[in-house]
Amino acid sequence: MRLAASGLVKVFPPPFLSGGEPALALAGAGLAISGGVVGIGGANGSGKTTLFKVLAGALIPDGGSVTADGDAAAPERLRELTALCPSTPRAFYYRLTAAENLRFFAALAGIPPAEAAARAAALADKLKLPEADLRRRFDALSEGNMQKVSLIRAFSRRPQLLLLDEPFNGLDGLACRGLLELMETAGRTSAVLLTSHNRELLTAAAPRALRMEKGRVLQGEAA
Amino acid sequence: MSRFSEAAAFVRRDFLAEKSYRLSFALGALATFANLAVFYFIGKLFGGRMAPHLAPYGADYFAYVFTALAFFGYIGTGAGSYAEKLRQEQAQGTLEAVLSTPVRLPAFLAGLTAWNFIFATFELAVYALAGALVFRPQLAAANWPAAALVFVLSAACFASLGVISSCFVVLFKRGNPMAWVLNNFEGLLGGVYFPVTVLPGWLLWVSKLLPVTYAVRAFQMAVHGGAGIAAIKYDLLALAAFDLLLVPGSVWLFSLSVARARRNGALGGY
Repeated sequence: MRLAASGLVKVFPPPFLSGGEPALALAGAGLAISGGVVGIGGANGSGKTTLFKVLAGALIPDGGSVTADGDAAAPERLRELTALCPSTPRAFYYRLTAAENLRFFAALAGIPPAEAAARAAALADKLKLPEADLRRRFDALSEGNMQKVSLIRAFSRRPQLLLLDEPFNGLDGLACRGLLELMETAGRTSAVLLTSHNRELLTAAAPRALRMEKGRVLQGEAA
Repeated sequence: MSRFSEAAAFVRRDFLAEKSYRLSFALGALATFANLAVFYFIGKLFGGRMAPHLAPYGADYFAYVFTALAFFGYIGTGAGSYAEKLRQEQAQGTLEAVLSTPVRLPAFLAGLTAWNFIFATFELAVYALAGALVFRPQLAAANWPAAALVFVLSAACFASLGVISSCFVVLFKRGNPMAWVLNNFEGLLGGVYFPVTVLPGWLLWVSKLLPVTYAVRAFQMAVHGGAGIAAIKYDLLALAAFDLLLVPGSVWLFSLSVARARRNGALGGY
């Protein structure tokens, strides 16, 4: 699948009656990706997370377009094609175990429970997440292990476009190595887009890297 | 996977979360029992003094309020739980994660409160058990098919009001005027704790604008007065009219609210 975004504009309005200023997060961002692993670098606030949320169909842009294989891709379509691993790993149900959380989110993506469990176990092994931690309640996990569960949720969807926002956050060396392998494998059959402030890991993960600045993707410039 | 599977996933999730708060589960059932006891003794204290207002229903005060509480407890679940569950999702940061999956909004809405309805059914069973074993209200005359029809029409109506109420949560997080009205006026003006005929004329007129008035009255007439469908047809028609307007309207308004939140980036906020 070839996914292309062009002229994406996103302005966040200030809170109702706050008297604040609108925030311009995307100012005509565009990129095209058809497979492999692509890295995106850029300073804090450059628009990387907003771009990912638009590509994931979680956020509707104010301008510009996204196409999948040349056809306009509405947010509903993007939510089917993509999986987003957000930069913070806390968007889970704390009273449920990691495995129960993964089963729940898999069900919403149409993955049967047995398949979800098998995928979770395989991915946990790669990311060096002990099986006992899959059975542990989410609020009892360390920050790094929460991040691993968040990565498993995204990878287990096996989407056409995988969006990984700061995926190395909190991971130890072994897990980082496992993640690099997972990205390489996923990049053979689908597209993987990732952000990282760690230049070394970004270079190791992505043969091609772009840079964002003030809401734009600087074409042809390395991170 | 079907929408049923998605809804089942929500039920399973909420059951597991609820199960992890074991004491709360048991105390909920105990609170229902204690609540009933309060009205039982109020009924004993005042005896037949409200009899003229209760005459159309053929019930004493406790039997009236017992039925209304059981009924309103269930249909009120629809009115209150959508906003409550959505706010919970916002606060724990899972709303955006859930709505970033391919789940469709009707399935999301069905799943969001499915567990609450199952728990409300359990509470209904507590009412039934408490009624049968302890308080023994007179329900011999009940026309259960008519009551069931009122129940279904009312549940759809109140669930729709709940969905509309949750739109405010999607857009404004806190400050939900719809929930405020539902919480503070439905019980007062809808005839849950006493027949609306007790109210002064102008308030009686206001109560006619609320679906709860038709729902509670028709249910009481069916359960205590043994009224059949023909006898309560105007109340049933009023509820059906509310349903025709509110069911599709509420889903439409909710999808508009979510689209707006996706546009202004509020989906992930709390």
